[in-house]
Amino acid sequence: MSAPGFPEMTLTQTLLIAALQCIAVTAFVFVLVPLTTFAERKVLGYLQVRLGATRIASGLHGLTGGLNRGMWAMGKVPVLSFLRGLPFPIADVLKLFVKEDIVPDKADRLVFIIAPGLTMVASLAVFAVISFYPGVLFVFPHWVPILGGCPFAGTAADVNVGLLFVTSIASVGVYGIVLGGWASNSKFPLLGGLRSAAQIVSYEVPLTLSLLAPVVMAGSLNLRELARILAGLPLMDASGQLLTQIHPLQSIPLFIGFFIYLTCGFAETNRLPFDMPEAENELVAGFHTEYSAMRFAFFYLAEYTNMIVVSAMASTLFLGGHHLLPFGLQRVIPESWPILGTPNLLFFVGKIVFLLFVFIWVRGTLPRYRYDQIMAVAWKYLLPLSLVNLFLAALIRFAW
Amino acid sequence: MNRYLKILIPTEIAKGLALTGKQFLRVFLTANRRPAPLHVVSEYPEVPAPLKPRFRGRLQLLTNAEGELACVCCMACEKICPTNAIHIEAGKKEGRKTRIPLRYDFEMERCVFCGFCVEACNFDAIKLNDQFELATYRREDLALGLADLDHPSLVGRHSIAEAVPAAVVAKDSDEGAR
Repeated sequence: MSAPGFPEMTLTQTLLIAALQCIAVTAFVFVLVPLTTFAERKVLGYLQVRLGATRIASGLHGLTGGLNRGMWAMGKVPVLSFLRGLPFPIADVLKLFVKEDIVPDKADRLVFIIAPGLTMVASLAVFAVISFYPGVLFVFPHWVPILGGCPFAGTAADVNVGLLFVTSIASVGVYGIVLGGWASNSKFPLLGGLRSAAQIVSYEVPLTLSLLAPVVMAGSLNLRELARILAGLPLMDASGQLLTQIHPLQSIPLFIGFFIYLTCGFAETNRLPFDMPEAENELVAGFHTEYSAMRFAFFYLAEYTNMIVVSAMASTLFLGGHHLLPFGLQRVIPESWPILGTPNLLFFVGKIVFLLFVFIWVRGTLPRYRYDQIMAVAWKYLLPLSLVNLFLAALIRFAW
Repeated sequence: MNRYLKILIPTEIAKGLALTGKQFLRVFLTANRRPAPLHVVSEYPEVPAPLKPRFRGRLQLLTNAEGELACVCCMACEKICPTNAIHIEAGKKEGRKTRIPLRYDFEMERCVFCGFCVEACNFDAIKLNDQFELATYRREDLALGLADLDHPSLVGRHSIAEAVPAAVVAKDSDEGAR
């Protein structure tokens, strides 16, 4: 597959670039996840009028103490103290590597070992189709040995059924949780797994229906095209003929759909206020009670990766993707404007970061729902609302 | 109609989010950049903890205007102490009308910090100071003598807030507590 305007690539080049894209996307995730855990500590702290993580070692001695010492040497309350606690993610990862890996005697060994990997792979595989930038991100300069002159696309796999791929792969992730809960052979994980199954089955319905509304508007499943169409910009084919452009009124179903999707996304990623599967004060730690070390880390990573997936999908479909303005409002900015009118990688990443902040913000604000309330929210409110939203989108699409 | 609107539009959630968001911005924009910080928790080990004036910490012997111990060995504190934590051995000193303590043993492992000794003292010779970081690694460190009681810090050397000057620590460990 070759981008238009570039020479046909050899098989080696194609494979190499695909590998590099995978590495780039994975690096993006694995950089963002530790930063999110750090941000979670700090933001939760600030929300509760605390300071969050401010030190990695209490004390003024030794290697880590030197950090504290230097900060405090600058004055009684140093300006840079915002950055203190930044080594926390590194300490986290080191701790998880060094810890003893325990498999319970009565556990179903094979399933117990597979489960975290399944969740992790499912959440990471989604990034293959997420479009970080439409078209070519950059071209390798000619002095690069094999890849000189080859384009590096902003999407790892620009497939036509991207959205379908995302929803189907993302729903595999729940198997990891259910299997992990079952294989642990213990009460609390089993309860957590069962709850997770029930909750995710319930929320999958309004989630998919809220994703269907943008698809109805745009008539496409390709995430790159969806991002452009749902930003309100016209999609042209190669000859410059208009294929699709959404009606200005479509901003209304997009706006409603965004909130439905976000609510369901919270439930899908098991975040507060929907963190039934791991409700700490009821189920110890829920499905990962028996997990330790890197297996636990996989579940932990998968939760944060899923948050990034939900943020990326929400920003692609509802917040204008790589364009500046959300909800199909990008049409008010002419495409000829230098920065504001053109797609930008930073807009996309910025929206992801903002949505991650919203995840933490909501966690710091709302208490956990009761189990029956969660089900009521899904079936009594979100499902009808998303159906109405879908109907509205279809009405606007076919009436005008 | 109003009821359904209330269900559909989660105003309560929005209110809660606005509240926490406001607090977030307040702390985020001013954290550690103001003389009086907005966040409610203190950064205790590095920043000294604020204490109330009536706080009762470790016993300390006070000195008079001449720089001598103000204690006249009336034994009021020894008698009133509910846990017998104080033992005084009185003595004489050249050029001083009143008696002066030769030994003043304060066994802090038994002290309950009730403050009766300070109330019983008629000569303003002792006080319970504001030192509260009293953890030690050895039990013997809690038995304080005359050499320890008239300067502010011996116990509490494991506190990181106010590093004890190295000279003081060295002198104390040379002489021993009693």
